[in-house]
Amino acid sequence: MKTQTYVLNMGPQHPSTHGVFRIILELDGEVVVKATSVPGYLHRGIEKLAEARTYTQVIPYTDRMDYLASMLMNWGYVAAVEKLMGVEVPERAEYIRVIVGELSRIASHLVAVGTYSVDIGGFTGFLYCFRDRERVLDLLEMVSGSRMTFSYFRIGGVADDLPPEFFPPLQKFLKDLPSLCDEYDGLITGNEIFQARTKYVGIITPEMGIKYSLSGPVLRGSGIPYDLRKVRPYGVYDRFDFEVPVGKNGDCFDRFVCRIKEIRQSARIIQQAIEGLPEGPIMAKVPKVIKPPAGEAYAEIESSKGILGCYVVSDGSTKPYRVHFRRPSFINLGYLDELLVGWKIADVIAILGSLDIVLGEVDC
Amino acid sequence: MFGQGLLKGLAITWKELFTRKVTVQYPEEKIPLPERYHGRFELDVDKCIACGLCANACPNKVIQITREKVGKKQYLTRYVMRIEYCMFCGFCVESCNKGALRFSHVINMNQYFRDKVRLVLVDRPVPEVLPEEEPAKAADGSPAETRGKTARAEVAAGKAPGKEG
Amino acid sequence: MGENIFTGIAESLRAFLYGAGVPPLASELIVLIVKLLAVIIFVSLNVVWLVYMERKIAAYIQCRIGPNRVGPKGLLQTVADVVKLLAKEIIIPRRVDKVVYLAAPILVFVPPMLAFAVIPWGDGMAPIDLNIGVFYILAVGSLSTIIFWMGGWSSNNKYSLVGGMRVVAQMVSYELPLVLSLLGVIMLTGTLSITEIVNAQRGTWFIFAQPLAFLIYFIAGVSEVNRVPFDLVEGESEIIAGPYTEYSGMAYAMYMLAEYGNMMVISCMCTIMFLGGWLAPFGWTFLPSWFWFFIKVYLMIFIFMWIRWTYPRIRVDQLLGFGWKVLVPLSLANIFVTGVGMYIYRAIGW
Repeated sequence: MKTQTYVLNMGPQHPSTHGVFRIILELDGEVVVKATSVPGYLHRGIEKLAEARTYTQVIPYTDRMDYLASMLMNWGYVAAVEKLMGVEVPERAEYIRVIVGELSRIASHLVAVGTYSVDIGGFTGFLYCFRDRERVLDLLEMVSGSRMTFSYFRIGGVADDLPPEFFPPLQKFLKDLPSLCDEYDGLITGNEIFQARTKYVGIITPEMGIKYSLSGPVLRGSGIPYDLRKVRPYGVYDRFDFEVPVGKNGDCFDRFVCRIKEIRQSARIIQQAIEGLPEGPIMAKVPKVIKPPAGEAYAEIESSKGILGCYVVSDGSTKPYRVHFRRPSFINLGYLDELLVGWKIADVIAILGSLDIVLGEVDC
Repeated sequence: MFGQGLLKGLAITWKELFTRKVTVQYPEEKIPLPERYHGRFELDVDKCIACGLCANACPNKVIQITREKVGKKQYLTRYVMRIEYCMFCGFCVESCNKGALRFSHVINMNQYFRDKVRLVLVDRPVPEVLPEEEPAKAADGSPAETRGKTARAEVAAGKAPGKEG
Repeated sequence: MGENIFTGIAESLRAFLYGAGVPPLASELIVLIVKLLAVIIFVSLNVVWLVYMERKIAAYIQCRIGPNRVGPKGLLQTVADVVKLLAKEIIIPRRVDKVVYLAAPILVFVPPMLAFAVIPWGDGMAPIDLNIGVFYILAVGSLSTIIFWMGGWSSNNKYSLVGGMRVVAQMVSYELPLVLSLLGVIMLTGTLSITEIVNAQRGTWFIFAQPLAFLIYFIAGVSEVNRVPFDLVEGESEIIAGPYTEYSGMAYAMYMLAEYGNMMVISCMCTIMFLGGWLAPFGWTFLPSWFWFFIKVYLMIFIFMWIRWTYPRIRVDQLLGFGWKVLVPLSLANIFVTGVGMYIYRAIGW
């Protein structure tokens, strides 16, 4: 019998590519023979746009990269400019950054967990995650005034102090969070069908993870405890006591479980940050018109998807000469084509979902 | 294993079947907006000195200010926000030294036609009263000043676009 | 009380026709047609209700309220949806096999409707009391495979094709445990007549005599009606909507409504074969028999929906592996144990 492969064009309009992402699959029945990923449908040229904006005006654009963890995107850019200018950020601002940054990480991971559940086919887990994410967004809205694109960070500090009405709901949320995580674990992680779908699927070996420069939960799922907050602490992260959860097999299941565990750890960090929140100014002494000296700087932070790097080149004017972002989703996606070969259509969705990409960040 | 997780999942959904529902039925009920919410912009015309800092702070050049020099002072005649390009980052509000530009809690800015989206906060002619005379009158708090103030406020409010179509 | 409402109506109709001088054969025919029409209307209305029920249960499980705007408590939501879909264009893409493409959504409602003709809705309330009822329902039930596959094949879309192929693979492999699990019951009763099977459960329901068979039947039944965790055919997050991808408007709605019709058939079969049909539990005969039947059917449907909104989806190779490697051997073992048990039973001469 003569059989033939066929090409299935998955995306850019597809329910489970997490946005406008396209994978050209060459299939033998349901098995993937060759996969070609085609990103770029959401490219807005943020790096180019930044060249025509002043240093402060770039901040709202960074929001639009990983719109699920905007605070962390702000942080990456702001950290680079601060490094360029040599600004010392006040301690209170650093603590506030940690609090809102970790809240943003929780929000981002909740989306990752929820959408992964719906990728595998369980819709209820998705809505539970979004129900709880809503509470995080309410908190961040109190701080910044927006629900998604916060633009809360400023070069040298943060835009506003934490309002007093922010703390009681935050404490309540932190108290509820472990039981909420238990609910996700019970409904999604513990489910045998879910485990059958994700365990030993899409295995990334530690060697390949390092070779492809993967980062974030995707790398940690393979058992490498590489978290910038721990190995190269920036800000005030060296003052907090938390663990870096790692997986064993490097399969989809481990990557997924890592995220739920990270939510729990983030809650721990926030708790410590609230307790240690010092008094003081929230903005460093920076001039009204930001004009860094000519030169370049590269700063990295640990975003919810992995290592977010930002490279800023200044020519001494008020506008950056060049801004480049190392977006973790994009780098993590580099391994996808190779990872998909030999798996079924259903696994393509499972693997793509476990990488947890955000297309705003991939295409930038 | 062997169905334990399956049963646990069923138990969780069974429990949630009877928990309080989180839906907020929007037009009837509303979520209270926080103090800092980024809603529609409002401009206190009397405080505005037409300095143009907000227009400069805007990353997308949303704000268009038309001013006329009357005597020594700048007089704001038209303040338009091309809200279709606005990112609601709040840089304009932050840059305002006089506290004239603020966020309100109005959230429904939706329009049926694109040309109605534009937010005109101020549109007024140059007053006949010469600005040189005005501060003098304002000093002794004459009724003419307050009259002018209410009239201006009405103009500003009237130009805020309502939903049409 | 109320026990004889429906049989009473049929009797009075028959008496009226007899009084009007209609020959017996013709009057029987008229009564039969009335019965079947009543069933068809009831099933159609019930499907509309089930869609609403599913949405409400899903919403409550997910901490939402669900439809509550159209009509009291949102009860008219499905009606409004159907009316909307009726008004929509049925898009026929280029290069589809037009005849098959349009025939599939019309035919898809036929198998469940056929099956309902022999379901006893209460004591003596089967529209047609076939002596091979179980066999008939199984035969008719497997017809829907072809219809889904017709839709998938004719759409000229790769997602539809993958979905259509999944239908065939899934339904063929799950038809077997479905039938084999019922064999235990049939061995115990020695009949294929649905009425007699129900009557044989006056002592104990077969869910207690054949628990394994019930479980196998239930799992295979979930797979038969393509619901989570076996909804690979639709597989929304993988292959968009499987065979229904290219359909729009009422053609799409027909598939969706037929899914509920099929679910109803499987629930009815579960009730009849294992839950004692219309028989009242603990001798609680204060409720009419048809009412008990509906309580049991709706209980089954609720479990279907509860599972639907709890579990994720299984993968296609796991599905086939589970069917052939677990369910088929288990159902064969069940038949073996039942046979041995019956032999011992008879040898003891209890």
